[in-house]
Amino acid sequence: MTVRLDGTLIRLEGRCHVEDAEPLFVLLLAVPGRPVDWSGAETLHTAVVQVLVAFGAPVLGDNRDDFIRRWIAPTLTRVRADT
Amino acid sequence: MENLNDQFLAEGRELVQSAGDDLVALAARPDDPDRIDAVFRAVHTLKGSTGLFDLRPFGDMLHVAEDLLGALRRKAIVPDAGIIDLLVDCIDQASRWLDAFDAAGSLPADAAQVGRRLQDDIRRLMDPTAPDEPARTEATAVDRSWVDAILDAHPAIPQGDLVAVRYAPREDCFFTGDDPLALVKAIPGLCALSIGARQPWGALDEFDPFRCNLVFDAVSTAPRADVQAALRLVFDQIDLVEIDNSRERHQAASTATREVSARTLRVEVDSIDALGAIADDIVIANNALAHLAAQARGGTAGAVLVQGILANQLTLDRLVGSLHRAVTRIRLMPLSSLFQRFPRLLREIGAKLGKDVALVIDGETIEVDKSLVDGLFEPLLHLLRNAADHGIEPAADRSKAGKPPRGSISLSARRVADQVVIDITDDGKGIDPAQIRQTARARALMPDEALAALSDQETIDLIFTPGFSTAETVTDLSGRGVGMDSVRTAALRLGGRIALSSVPGSGTSVRLALPVSVVLSNVIVVACAGEQYGVPMDAVVETIRIPPDRVVPVRNGRAFVLRDTVVPLLDLSILLGLGLDQAAPGADLRLLVIRRTNGLVAVVVDEFTDRLNLLLRPMSGLLTGTPGLAGTAVLGDGRVLMVLDLPELIA
Repeated sequence: MTVRLDGTLIRLEGRCHVEDAEPLFVLLLAVPGRPVDWSGAETLHTAVVQVLVAFGAPVLGDNRDDFIRRWIAPTLTRVRADT
Repeated sequence: MENLNDQFLAEGRELVQSAGDDLVALAARPDDPDRIDAVFRAVHTLKGSTGLFDLRPFGDMLHVAEDLLGALRRKAIVPDAGIIDLLVDCIDQASRWLDAFDAAGSLPADAAQVGRRLQDDIRRLMDPTAPDEPARTEATAVDRSWVDAILDAHPAIPQGDLVAVRYAPREDCFFTGDDPLALVKAIPGLCALSIGARQPWGALDEFDPFRCNLVFDAVSTAPRADVQAALRLVFDQIDLVEIDNSRERHQAASTATREVSARTLRVEVDSIDALGAIADDIVIANNALAHLAAQARGGTAGAVLVQGILANQLTLDRLVGSLHRAVTRIRLMPLSSLFQRFPRLLREIGAKLGKDVALVIDGETIEVDKSLVDGLFEPLLHLLRNAADHGIEPAADRSKAGKPPRGSISLSARRVADQVVIDITDDGKGIDPAQIRQTARARALMPDEALAALSDQETIDLIFTPGFSTAETVTDLSGRGVGMDSVRTAALRLGGRIALSSVPGSGTSVRLALPVSVVLSNVIVVACAGEQYGVPMDAVVETIRIPPDRVVPVRNGRAFVLRDTVVPLLDLSILLGLGLDQAAPGADLRLLVIRRTNGLVAVVVDEFTDRLNLLLRPMSGLLTGTPGLAGTAVLGDGRVLMVLDLPELIA
């Protein structure tokens, strides 16, 4: 299970592929502003990141991927601040 | 990235080949969605990488072809033979342009025109009412404000020569399997990255998670060529700007690529890992040897040292063997990289000759040494040309002879032991020995009596004689003064053999038998007339000793009975022209039993001296083609061993 609802939290875990964008989208659409914990995600496909960016979803925890932490995380924070 | 050209060419040829294969399958089953998908992906990827170079007509043509394939995928258009043919034309053109780019570093002068014609054909096909589209103009005044924006957003970007990239992935890129972030991640020297949206996000419930709306702006400290290389697959979706004054550097980078392009080999990472592992083991074995050396210096007892040396030798022997195998395996590549170039060339040849010829390819997955793939292109092309030109009859003649109007040439490869056998067979008119005799007489190739004494097969083999050409009219295609003798020379140079057989009226077949690679051959060393010779073990059925009284005279020869079979006996010294050796009377005869196509033959030698694993090298230089010699090998003591090809020597 790479995308799952854990209480009020959406958890991304393991390797998130392109097809995981859809369930993530559905969960975020249902309750906008739901925080996403991505500390368990090993890899994130662009499509998944795009959903996070589009929704300005607040992310929790440190992503394991240096690249994501360095370049994507700040973008998300900024996107969230804008919306 | 000096080898950017090579990478592009290698990948391009692979893509053209796979698209070509899929199109052939589609010709039989035009509605196979998997095949259409596969061609789409190949064209899409190739288009992306053409953007790396100044190949605009190439990219434009592929772009339109991709549109057509997209329509086929969506089932907006129903595929038929005409559409498949048009796509084959595009792929053929792509292959031609790759060759041109390989040879000249650019497209031919007529590329824009040729590409436009194909594009117009496709457009007409997709929408019969559409007029030919005028030449698309260059994108007007590209908006570069994003460069300033990203520099402003990332104040920590280092000074100096930088490359800024805007990567706007295609909307449908997720469907074609792209992961844009993974590509961005691979940009070398990344020092800034901003993610934006191409279109405003809009109402979220209308958001389509599988449509890519992201735009990536990045800055890199790496050279432009490296950034280009990292993004070569999506180059049509990239805007790349060099910041600061690095124009000269860019030009230097693009001109420096030509010279180094000659020889590259694409190697799987696994193979390199395997080599690395062997190298590690060799280091360990070497350390053990150093330890032994230290012991020897320290005066350790001989017996202990001998044990150590023996054990070490065994280890090294095993490692050297696996090293050699690993390197040999790396040099192996599938014949498909060679064969893939022929369908298009044969279509062109057929068109020039006004003949409809189908090429059937088989066995292209067989792997052979790279030198073979490189060295066989011209000889095979020559043979195919010959088959189309001299073999296949004009359609009218074929119908008269009760054959299908479309000629067929098959190019097939199969592996036999450590040889690859390549057959080029046509269903044409065959070779008429009478005509060959007549030509040979006219050219005074040999005295009339000698000519008359030749069998039909021997007469046909005259085709390999230098200067022989049977074409009554020298055609543009085959009559360029390079005859079958050049093909034979090429085959011999690669350590192979060539044979030709023909049935008048039903076709000709040329067979090339070549060594798959330089491999370690198991060789038995025999003595004869005071010299040592090697004989490959695979030629030898068995070695036996028989008492002289088992030999019976048969007419003017000798034979003996081996398990109820009469086996003729030949003397190696006579075969080698050394004169009959006077063996000690009454001594046992030592025989190598050899299998030939028509049965067993025993060859008498003086002695069996050794069995060795040797690196057999084909004869080179003046000795190339010396009959009966398989090659040479260097022995442990530095002497050169002649390795005999006994079946050929006996023939």
